Amino acid sequence: MAPARTALPRLLCAGVRSARRWPGFLRKATPGPAGPSGRMLTGAPNPARSEPQDDHDLQRKILDLPLKHSDFFNVKELFSVKSLFEARVHLGHKAGCRHRFMEPYIFGSRLDQDIIDLEQTASHLQLALNFTAHVAYRKGIILFVSRNRQFMHLIENTAQNCGEYAHTRYFKGGLLTNAQLLFGPEVRLPDLIIFLHTLNNVFEPHVAVRDAAKMNIPTVGIVDTNCNPCLITYPIPGNDDSPPAVHLYCRLFCTTINRAKEKRRQMEILYQLPSVKRAEDSGTAN
Amino acid sequence: MAGSRLETVGSVFSRTRNLMRAGVLKEKPLWYDVYKAFPPLREPVFQKPNLRYGKAKATIQDIFYHEDRIRAKFFSAYGSGPKAFDLFNPNFKSTCERFVEKYIELQNLGETNEEKLFVETGKALLAEGIILRRIGEARAVTIRHQAAAEGNQPQKDDAWEQQEAREEPQGACSGL
Repeated sequence: MAPARTALPRLLCAGVRSARRWPGFLRKATPGPAGPSGRMLTGAPNPARSEPQDDHDLQRKILDLPLKHSDFFNVKELFSVKSLFEARVHLGHKAGCRHRFMEPYIFGSRLDQDIIDLEQTASHLQLALNFTAHVAYRKGIILFVSRNRQFMHLIENTAQNCGEYAHTRYFKGGLLTNAQLLFGPEVRLPDLIIFLHTLNNVFEPHVAVRDAAKMNIPTVGIVDTNCNPCLITYPIPGNDDSPPAVHLYCRLFCTTINRAKEKRRQMEILYQLPSVKRAEDSGTAN
Repeated sequence: MAGSRLETVGSVFSRTRNLMRAGVLKEKPLWYDVYKAFPPLREPVFQKPNLRYGKAKATIQDIFYHEDRIRAKFFSAYGSGPKAFDLFNPNFKSTCERFVEKYIELQNLGETNEEKLFVETGKALLAEGIILRRIGEARAVTIRHQAAAEGNQPQKDDAWEQQEAREEPQGACSGL
């Protein structure tokens, strides 16, 4: 689906092409009829009105239970300070490129090159992965954004592997702020935006950072020593230029999102929700 | 659906919370409870990035080790050393690294005079098989010495001399 469309010549207004891709992406797993709210309903009709309270309680239990644990999805085991070091996450830019607000996250500078404090990175990364997992668990839409051409393809593949979305092309002006006009009257905006590179190709902050803050969308972002971490909800101070580092981040995000979705499926089966029951009856796989 | 587009005022969470409290925003967003349960270490409030002026400097410390003094002396005397740096290997030991280790070994044995230690380490490495060629005026001595010993080498030495002369400024720029 997506690879075929990306292969189309980008010479024809790349911005419009990428914008058009969204409605296609919105039709995820089960292409059912679109309801009046614009959300994709499953093929099955709504659960019977006879037991609304039970359903409501179950839903609340499913959603509230994970919030009680400090690390429900066990994201801590996915990385360690050593693995971050080996992926060269601690390497920052030269001292002249340093952004003022990144100073608290910098350990020191070795011969003019900033070294990021990996202890802080580890704690930030744990918070960010935990947040991503919870959003994915609640069936939120996650959008990967980056404007670094070196890792464009990798990020698109990562998004495809987790069943989420990516936007690594030219970010058209009102994509988030004027979505109603660009996509249609009923659009569901992403519930979380993950920035693998906060800067665009002219080393300025990506427009989506400010736009996500405007549209009250939380963001997770890898901030290098030349980035501004202010508006990013869950910044992760780390290297965003080395291939091993970016590969590590993509792997981590992919794993957490898949883990969270799997957990959601398990919880639904455990609590035997009516929608899942009907899916079982109709013979679809668990 | 109501919303607040003032990204410079508070954080995303504070704006959403206040809108819900005021009753303007009816539906709770998906991420609200998650943020409430696991807030970030710093509230994502907008801050105006002001530049530093005058004598104000950043409070970031330089990272230096004790071995750096020995490394500085080694590089000023011998350049980058005979062996090329293999960055693919995480456990790679360069000539400089071995020099530093030997130096510290000899220092722990009780020596105190720095120049003596330097010369002793050079001799110890020579015994292990690593030939260190000095850069600068001392080179003429080594070349003449080598020419006398090996006879046919002077042409190669001149080419090596020119290469070292070209490599020197490059070595200074890489700074590692």
